[in-house]
Amino acid sequence: MSGAAAVAVTLGLATVFGLVHRWRSGRLKEQDVRAEWDFELGERATLVQFSSAFCAPCRATRRVLAEVAAMVEGVRHVEIDAESRLELVRELNILKTPTVLVLDASGRIVQRASGQPGKADVIAALGRV
Amino acid sequence: MEIDPRGQRFSAAVTSIVLVAVLLTGSWVLLAAQAVVFAIGVFFGLRHHPYGLLYAAVVRPRLGPPAELEDESPPRFAQGVGLVFALAGVAGYSLGLGWPAITATSFALGAAFLNAVFGFCLGCEMFLIIKRVIPKSISEEVP
Repeated sequence: MSGAAAVAVTLGLATVFGLVHRWRSGRLKEQDVRAEWDFELGERATLVQFSSAFCAPCRATRRVLAEVAAMVEGVRHVEIDAESRLELVRELNILKTPTVLVLDASGRIVQRASGQPGKADVIAALGRV
Repeated sequence: MEIDPRGQRFSAAVTSIVLVAVLLTGSWVLLAAQAVVFAIGVFFGLRHHPYGLLYAAVVRPRLGPPAELEDESPPRFAQGVGLVFALAGVAGYSLGLGWPAITATSFALGAAFLNAVFGFCLGCEMFLIIKRVIPKSISEEVP
C-alpha cells in the first residue's frame, strides 16, 4: 500500500521537476558581475563554458559555442574544467555543468545560463553585448 | 569509451519499471538484483550492462545506427548514484525498516525516471556540488 503511494508521489514529483528543469535549463539570464580572468578575452565578447567529466550535454554545448565563436567576429570560446578550478567555481557560485557565461569586451559577466543554451539564444545575447 | 545514448535511455526505462515493481512488491531480492545491475555498469562499464546488452540485441537492430555517440562517464556516474540508493534500499528492506527502504528506492526511481523521460543528467547536477563540498572541508583541516 505505502509502496504504491511512493510510486505515485515519486513519478508525480519527478514529472513536475523534469518539466520545470527542462524549461529553465539553458536559459540565458542577464547579469552584471565584474570578474578577473587569466585568459585572453575576445575583442567583442567571450563565451566561457564550465564543464565536467560527468556532464552529458557539455559536448553539445562545446560544439554550439565553438560554432558561434567561428561565425561571429570578435567572439572567443573558452572552456574551463570546473573540477580543476574549484576556487573560481565557488567564487562565481557555479552549481552545475554546463554553465555558460557571456563576457563583454572588458570581461564583465553580462549573461549566464545553467544547462545547454540554444544557438539562436547565444547569438541573440551577443547582439546585446 | 563511447556509447549509444538511446541505449542509455532504454536502460533507464527498464530500471524505472524494475524499481516500480520493487516498490509495489517490497521485494528486497528484486532490488538486490537491480543493485547488481547498477554495480556491473559502474565497475565493468556500460558495454557490459545487462539492460544495455538487451538494447543492443533487441532494440538497436530495429533502429539503425545512432546519430551521435556519447561519452559513457556521465551515465556511469548516474549508475553509481543508483547503486548507493539501491544498496540503502536493500539494507532497509532486509532489516524490516519500511520507510527508509521506500524512500531510498523512491530516490533511485525518481532519478531513473527523469533520465528515461527527460534525458536528465544526474552527473551535471550532482558532481560539482559534491566536489565543492568535499575538497573544501578537507583543505580546511590541513593547516
